[in-house]
Amino acid sequence: MTALDVADDLAVAAPSTAARRRAMSYRTLLIALQAGIAVALVAAWEIGASTGAVNTFLFSSPSRVGQVIVERWQSGDLVLDVGTTALEVALGFVIGAVGGSVIGLLLWYSKFVADLSAPFIAAIGSIPVLAIAPMTIIWFGTGLESKIVIVAFSCVVVSLTTSYRGARMADQDLLNLVRSFGGNRGTAFRRVVVPASMTWVVQALKLNVGFAIVGAIVGEYISSNAGIGHMILLGSSNFSVNIVLAGLALVMVTVLVFTLIVSGIEHIVLRWEK
Amino acid sequence: MSVLDIAGISKRYTEDGPQVLKDVSFRAEKNEFVTIVGPSGCGKSTLFNIVAGLLPPSRGEVRLDGEVVTGTTTPHIGYVLQKDLLFPWLTVLDNVGLGLEIQGMRRREARERARSIFAAYNLEGYEDKYPSALSGGMRQRAALMRTLVTDPDVILMDEAYKALDYPLKIQLESELLETVRERGKTVVFVTHDIEEAVTLSDRVYVLKARPGEVVNEIPISLTTDSTRIDQRRLASEFNDYYEAIWTSIGRAPLAA
Repeated sequence: MTALDVADDLAVAAPSTAARRRAMSYRTLLIALQAGIAVALVAAWEIGASTGAVNTFLFSSPSRVGQVIVERWQSGDLVLDVGTTALEVALGFVIGAVGGSVIGLLLWYSKFVADLSAPFIAAIGSIPVLAIAPMTIIWFGTGLESKIVIVAFSCVVVSLTTSYRGARMADQDLLNLVRSFGGNRGTAFRRVVVPASMTWVVQALKLNVGFAIVGAIVGEYISSNAGIGHMILLGSSNFSVNIVLAGLALVMVTVLVFTLIVSGIEHIVLRWEK
Repeated sequence: MSVLDIAGISKRYTEDGPQVLKDVSFRAEKNEFVTIVGPSGCGKSTLFNIVAGLLPPSRGEVRLDGEVVTGTTTPHIGYVLQKDLLFPWLTVLDNVGLGLEIQGMRRREARERARSIFAAYNLEGYEDKYPSALSGGMRQRAALMRTLVTDPDVILMDEAYKALDYPLKIQLESELLETVRERGKTVVFVTHDIEEAVTLSDRVYVLKARPGEVVNEIPISLTTDSTRIDQRRLASEFNDYYEAIWTSIGRAPLAA
């Protein structure tokens, strides 16, 4: 190595440990503050409820919500409701979001097919899930299948269009490079298009976690005999704010878990991005 | 017989479009370093893509060892661009082995072969890093390794070192000369930089622009045998060659 080389190498010096430590302590501070704010809000709610400042008939209280969750855990209803919704979301997500991503990527093979189908895909995307949900109950019944279809429907267009856009943006020079080594279109798709689109695919997956839950709850509202949406619907028709709020808490936890799973996938798939 | 023989290449992108290349012919012998030099708009990149087999010419032939390979890619011709074109999602090792893998070698074997050349190109220790951890010069080195490891007979380089700062460019070009001499490679280098053309080449073809057309062929013979570009730059004939190319490009001497 010559002096010139060393100068070149120094250009990519790693961030200093001091800088990294500063970033770490900032993150720790942030998380501590966030946890503090959450605890304070729940505590204020609970104290307000116990002193009568908060109307518990309308707004319940953390301990009452907690009690509902414990009771439903013991009776087995909680596992049934959360399990049902989670299953609907998981299966619908795999079919809609993952399936949509695969189709979107495959459309790279034919710009003609993609252009031809574009208005039809846009038309499907323009239908609000709330508007189509009653039809799917008629077509697929009141059981799990109709909810899976609704969830898949809620996810598919976003994943399809986003991943197609990602695939189209794959660097032409990288594709040429693969060709120059004698690779065919299949090799180019596998080695360039798919990995280059992963940032887009994962972004769409993250968005779709929210859409999937909305789809499942909407489906359960319309007709169901289990699920978190079913639980919330029953609670509100009995004027039990405790049950409704417990349901909302369970929705939040479900979204959190699915988001963590997708983040885990992102971490593996996009580990080169840092 | 020349290793690479480009015969009468013409190119229009559309039938009634402007002519980009007009009857371009050149050849490169074994172990020869040939540079195509010309101003922007002379169709260098189009010519490059045609020679690489990525683009069909409107007329003319690309012959490799006498065999017509027009419009098809071949493992005998390697390809290095100004953009290093490393895949950001592959480690440096997998990037270097990429060409081998695409050509059909098993991943394990490709990795092994790729790993074996890291020391020679001063990239040892970076095998498992991603390209984002590399500096511009290291990335360009990795790109050259990816091509060299597939052992092509001819290496095409399109302004490969344009984006680097001057000392680094001199460094990498010296390494390049040493490597291709050692390994007996034929190089076709495309550039608009006359200095680069004189210091690197055994022969220079001068292209004029619109349409791209060969206007002169200048064999270069410097008195130094060194592969170090800074030494070659100091050879006494440098200025004569520089001027010969400069006038061939068709520029009048600049007013003082």
